[in-house]
Amino acid sequence: MAKITLDLFRFDEAVDEVPHRDRVTVEIPETTTVLDALEVAKAEVDGSISFRRSCRSAICGSCSMNINGITGLACKTPCNTVMNADGVVKVDPMPNFQPMKDMVVHMDPFWDKYARLKPYLQPADADSANDRERRVSPDDMKKLVDVANCVMCATCYALCPVVSVDPSFAGPAAIAYAYRFIEDVRDGQRKERIAQISEDYLWLCAHCYACSYCPKHVDPNDRIIDVKRAAIKDRVLMNERGPRHALVVSKTIKQTGMLAETEVILGTVGRFNVRGLLKVTPLALRMVARGKLTPVEMAVGGTAPMLGMPSQKPIPKVDEVRTIFEALEVPVS
Amino acid sequence: MTVLLPEDLPLDAHRRSHSAQSRRYGFFPGCVAKESCKELFNSTMLLADKLGIELIELTAASCCGASVVNDVNRDVARVLNARTYAQAEALGLDDVITICSTCTGHMRAANKELLDSEERMDHANAILGKFGAKYQGTVMVRHLLWLLIDDIGLDRLREMVVRPLAGMRVAPFYGCHIIRPESVNGWESARQPHSLEDLIEAIGGEPVDYAGKTRCCGFHIQLEKENVAADMVGQNMRMAKDHGAEAVLTPCPLCHLALDGYQADSAARWGRTDLPTFHLPQLVAFALGVPAEKLGLNKHLIDPRTIMVERELIS
Repeated sequence: MAKITLDLFRFDEAVDEVPHRDRVTVEIPETTTVLDALEVAKAEVDGSISFRRSCRSAICGSCSMNINGITGLACKTPCNTVMNADGVVKVDPMPNFQPMKDMVVHMDPFWDKYARLKPYLQPADADSANDRERRVSPDDMKKLVDVANCVMCATCYALCPVVSVDPSFAGPAAIAYAYRFIEDVRDGQRKERIAQISEDYLWLCAHCYACSYCPKHVDPNDRIIDVKRAAIKDRVLMNERGPRHALVVSKTIKQTGMLAETEVILGTVGRFNVRGLLKVTPLALRMVARGKLTPVEMAVGGTAPMLGMPSQKPIPKVDEVRTIFEALEVPVS
Repeated sequence: MTVLLPEDLPLDAHRRSHSAQSRRYGFFPGCVAKESCKELFNSTMLLADKLGIELIELTAASCCGASVVNDVNRDVARVLNARTYAQAEALGLDDVITICSTCTGHMRAANKELLDSEERMDHANAILGKFGAKYQGTVMVRHLLWLLIDDIGLDRLREMVVRPLAGMRVAPFYGCHIIRPESVNGWESARQPHSLEDLIEAIGGEPVDYAGKTRCCGFHIQLEKENVAADMVGQNMRMAKDHGAEAVLTPCPLCHLALDGYQADSAARWGRTDLPTFHLPQLVAFALGVPAEKLGLNKHLIDPRTIMVERELIS
């Protein structure tokens, strides 16, 4: 048995103006999970300590919280893996959510984004007589199994740095779940679903892999890339900046072997998008002033592609790079 | 059953005796160090000189894919990088050293995919075969940061320091792709890394601990939504500043472009931070005695020389 002190975030939106902290010490085996430690504290010390939980075995997805600065399921986190030398475990609600009471948060923004997906199968022949099974081959199903493991614990949403500054971003879980329907052969709304998730800022994912800490190994980071590929393959909303960016990067690598910065900026923002270009101009000018970019590089990068020429000097043996692009039929526009 | 977490992997798993003994390394500078962060390329070469190691630039290497080409095709980054590794092998080199977090993560991911699956290796080599190249699978991709710690060693670096940083409070900023995903990098804990802190300490600075150090700089969405990318810079730099940072050190030129370029734009929401950002080799090279005027510090938008003068490191 060990003495473990829980350093708890305490807040009740009904009565408190600001949160405070309480310290509760419990005597439990140190391999006890943080969730069980909270249960003991609630049963034996202070019945008002509030947190969500149900299954206690990483299936229901209720108990995600921030434990010593790391967000994850309390039922999957043994105290001895997180406590400091004094046996203290700091417990806070998930970040990126409005606290309601102690570790309980308002989940509405997360559920709203999920609901927008229309998260149910919509077969193309939905109106026909339901006189037969809709069969899925094992290979087709294999693609969906990992995502189906999502327990909607919102850990990825809480960890997402884009959500933290722009809550209009769909977030990792919703995009991963969009993939689950986009790639389901029984569904008939593939293009509509890609369009919906693109409009919910699919392309605002910052490629940071914070969602690779998924407690159920759904790894939304990889599914987000899958959905982007689906958008390009089906050519949905191709005039938006996200797909334009991916394709112009691809194009400059094929032409020069390198990612050609000036052409990528012009190709993404839009060569004739005066307002968009004016927005990036001050930074570009500061960079030129400091000698980070030379005016010659910018001028060549800006005009050469219009004349059908590479925007910068290609690497040696660039033909090999082009061979790779052609063998794989990589889209560049 | 003992579960081996990536952070428990012995460091030996990442060490290569061959290149380390010959002190000759394959070198992949990446696009940005050749374009808008040339000062990074130059200071890397100056640092290598001081360290007595030879960085052999893979001049015909292509872009690593920059985390973006995955969005258009699932195979192209893997095959492009296989081509780069084949070039290193042809030069008798088994180490490819990077100076960018994004290059590190994506080149390691490509290498892992190749080494984990014979099918993918054969697929890549079938394409490489069209121009007579072949990747044997002997290459390891490492960041210069790891080379400094594994092959040179912190103790040796401490001995080599001739101009310690006089306790300058430096905030480390790792850059996502050098630590995440852990299954690809795994050289150190992605959640509690400390290599940059160790290095800052070794060259006489005082590392600043703050939650932003492992967060995202927003570089990859600068062109998608400028204000969101700027907010991500502002949020992290606010944390660093509030914890007493005077400067930032990053192993990633993409983070450098974001942190150096966007603090001005994030000031409206996060307050002015104006933290100068150093490239990893700039600060190490300076401590090891490379003259400050050779490090391209004048190329930064937020001039780092101001704090160096204040700290009496330069006049």
